Amino acid sequence: MTSHLLTAIVFLPLVGAVACAAVPSARASRALALGVSGVVLALAVWLVAGFEPGAGMQFVERARWIPQIGAEYHLGVDGVSLPMLALSALLTVLAVVASWNVAERPKTYFALLMLLEVGMNGVFVALDFVLFYVFWELVLVPMYFLIAWWGGPRRQYASIKFFLYTLFGSVFMLVGIIALYLHPAGGTLDITALAGRGFPVQFQMWAFAAFFLGFAVKVPVFPLHTWLPDAHVEAPTAASVLLAGILLKMGTYGFIRVTLPILPEASRAWAPAVAALAAVSIVYGAALAFAQKDLKKLVAYSSVSHMGFVMLGIAAGTSEGIAGAVAVMFSHGVVTGMLFLLVGMVYERTHTRMIEDVSGLSVQTPVAGGLLALASFASLGLPGLSGFVGEFLSLLGAWKSDLVPAAWVVVSAVGVLLAAAYMLSVVQRVVLGEPSKAVAGIGDLTLREVGVLVPLVALTVVVGVWWDSLLRYVSPVASELAKLVVGS
Amino acid sequence: MTELAVLIPEALVLVAALAALFAERLPGGDRTAARLGAGLAGAAAVCVALIGVRDPIANGTLAYDAVARDARLAVAALSALYLLWLSGSALDRVREMAAFALFSALGGMLMASARDLMVLFIALELGTMPAYVMMGYEREDARTLEGSLKYYLLSMTTSLVMLYGFSLIFGLTGTTRIAEAGSLAPAGLLGAFAAVFALTGLFAKLSAAPFHFWTPDAYAGAPASAVAFVSTVPKVAGAAALFRLAQALEVGEVVSLFLGAAALASMLLGNFGAYPQRDIRRLMAYSGIAHSGYVLLALGAGSPSAIAYAVIYAIPSMAVMLLAAEEGAAVEDWSGLVQRRPAAAWALVVLLLSLVGVPPMAGFFGKLSVFGAALHAGRTALVVVAVLMSVVSAGYYFRLIRPAFFAEGAPEVAEDRAGATWASTVVFVAATALTLLLPLLFGALESLPRIGA
Repeated sequence: MTSHLLTAIVFLPLVGAVACAAVPSARASRALALGVSGVVLALAVWLVAGFEPGAGMQFVERARWIPQIGAEYHLGVDGVSLPMLALSALLTVLAVVASWNVAERPKTYFALLMLLEVGMNGVFVALDFVLFYVFWELVLVPMYFLIAWWGGPRRQYASIKFFLYTLFGSVFMLVGIIALYLHPAGGTLDITALAGRGFPVQFQMWAFAAFFLGFAVKVPVFPLHTWLPDAHVEAPTAASVLLAGILLKMGTYGFIRVTLPILPEASRAWAPAVAALAAVSIVYGAALAFAQKDLKKLVAYSSVSHMGFVMLGIAAGTSEGIAGAVAVMFSHGVVTGMLFLLVGMVYERTHTRMIEDVSGLSVQTPVAGGLLALASFASLGLPGLSGFVGEFLSLLGAWKSDLVPAAWVVVSAVGVLLAAAYMLSVVQRVVLGEPSKAVAGIGDLTLREVGVLVPLVALTVVVGVWWDSLLRYVSPVASELAKLVVGS
Repeated sequence: MTELAVLIPEALVLVAALAALFAERLPGGDRTAARLGAGLAGAAAVCVALIGVRDPIANGTLAYDAVARDARLAVAALSALYLLWLSGSALDRVREMAAFALFSALGGMLMASARDLMVLFIALELGTMPAYVMMGYEREDARTLEGSLKYYLLSMTTSLVMLYGFSLIFGLTGTTRIAEAGSLAPAGLLGAFAAVFALTGLFAKLSAAPFHFWTPDAYAGAPASAVAFVSTVPKVAGAAALFRLAQALEVGEVVSLFLGAAALASMLLGNFGAYPQRDIRRLMAYSGIAHSGYVLLALGAGSPSAIAYAVIYAIPSMAVMLLAAEEGAAVEDWSGLVQRRPAAAWALVVLLLSLVGVPPMAGFFGKLSVFGAALHAGRTALVVVAVLMSVVSAGYYFRLIRPAFFAEGAPEVAEDRAGATWASTVVFVAATALTLLLPLLFGALESLPRIGA
């Protein structure tokens, strides 16, 4: 049964997508979406339970696909993809529940969410480049429609910008993939088999540049980030959660899965530049977040900043750095998911996202206020919550690494300070104080809404307190990769 | 005698074309003619697949190799789809459109297997002549006449230039066999001229730059139902013929340089030209120029993926034009399509994304194969332009998706629009299914070239 577990996790939502569109009523459609994503989550939990940390690629499936181009149907999970896959399965369920009362074209909406899950799950388990690329691009279409149809006032602009930016990046990745395949040292599309092939350094540099464009747009790394605030602000809440929680991680996952093992010399050579961009992303994202008046935009820019820590850890190439990068990816998915959900819930009640219009949540709606405060603390990296683990490790890893100039680590550390500043200011202005006009009279979170947030709160606390719950999966892979890149 | 059995598909198409000419004598008239044509063309496609790869016939002037088989199969199958759509359309004089489409398909099938310059020329003219009439179908419309006249004049001129090139090749080598003519041509300046002239005619048929400028005007004047055929099926045959010719005429670097430059110009002019268009026929005309650029990119790399790409382009492109024939050819006409015909609107998304080259649609695998071939041939710069242009193309294809899905205050359904017939439903379902599922079947298609081989 477990021999096709990954196939089930990836393609069950596809069946769900068709079924969601085909059933006669909206009610049936959302029940189906919840059922299917719930089953996928259960399968993912089963996968985690059966996973053996440190034992390399597991649950591998291989089958003939397109022999003419050497493409195979090749799936597998290791300690890096496992947490991301589980997160994707969890966030999809929460996204379905959070969208429970979507009124416009609900059948199409849930079908698109299901289709999105196919792509998200697929990216993290695909071990063949063509398959990887198929899943990578597959997420674009449902996300485009989710933003363009259910989004805010500027949704047309935001959705097409998202689509074109990402497509721009990924076509270069495609060139990189073909180049690896055509190179005499390559000759295969098997991602794992290409690791450590020893491509010539000059070739690696160019291939890295191609992959970098593809991945960096998705992360996004400064200066390729400008699609992100637009997309986030216009996207409906569930789409924002998945965009920040999973889609951004696809970019950094790409660096870890592809460039580090396959192009280690180039990763080393480009590390100072990547670290510089990471540091700029951290500080620039944080500064812009500080300046925002719109709560959702603030969270969006904070994502740019947090993803900078992931890039810093990856640039470091040390085992702490890489493990820290994955930990930030996981934690940011959980915490930012929480923040976007809360902002959405507050918006539904107050019809404003302006920070100046919302205050005193803790008085009027203690549950919402308390959870928003908790999420803010997790986001700014308070020890004991998940945000701290990854940022600490990536800074430590970058500090220990010879590849990252110390100055960039110092700059990045300033980013932590800035994060504390803008998140605390949110807590102070939005959560504390007297209820503002918009807040007065609104009701607290419903049971359904609390139910959506509880799993995320639990994960934040568990990972923050018991680091090993996450790191036991990640660390073995991180040290393997570090051996390839920095040799220790 | 038995060797002529490979011509059964062509014979079937010819019978269908002749039957369509005498449609008035058939019970059911025009509709029967189109249905008969669809059936016989479909049967021809099946026969091509069953016959498979055979030895050349007719003294070696007609080849039946894998290239010929794939191109003939695609031409016959696409024609069958087109005629099926015609059989349900509200067009006047369907029999004429059916007859001309079938004659053009016959020319295309012969063109794909031609191994002799004279046979190629005759097949090419047989494929093109009916297209002039199809493009000038609305005889009273001045724009139609202008467009088709431009098409006719340019097409004739380039045909004659091509014939001049053929005569030079014959003069230099003393033979009209494509394979021998190519290998015998000296690499001198005259040989180069001969080769370039010879290619010119086919460039015009593919609407590749620099012989592209007739396309937007001609398409915008013609009925969308005619454009659907003329802009797709002859291109598949043209790609096959061009592949054969370019393979043989490898005269030093000149041919390859010419193909590369034309590919670059087509990609740039086509994609940027498509951007400001408000008429779907014009937009698809420019997009066709751009896609011819990708075909030329593969041809310049000497890869048969050019033919696979032309087929993968033709399927969605024909379906989009047929939708324009049903819904109207202005971008605004598609407003609110998703409310009127949700299935057609989602099919449109699949078709257009395939043209962009987004996986898992067939277009992606076409581009993968073309880019692979071109990178293998060392044309990195051209590939970089090509991938950037495919991002640009997403911009204008989305301009078609936008009104269909997100039109603000979509207009009420116009009363005079004909509802979708079962024939058109079958055609759209088939085109969408092919576009989506072709990649799953690629494993079974031996003709799809290996990347880098």
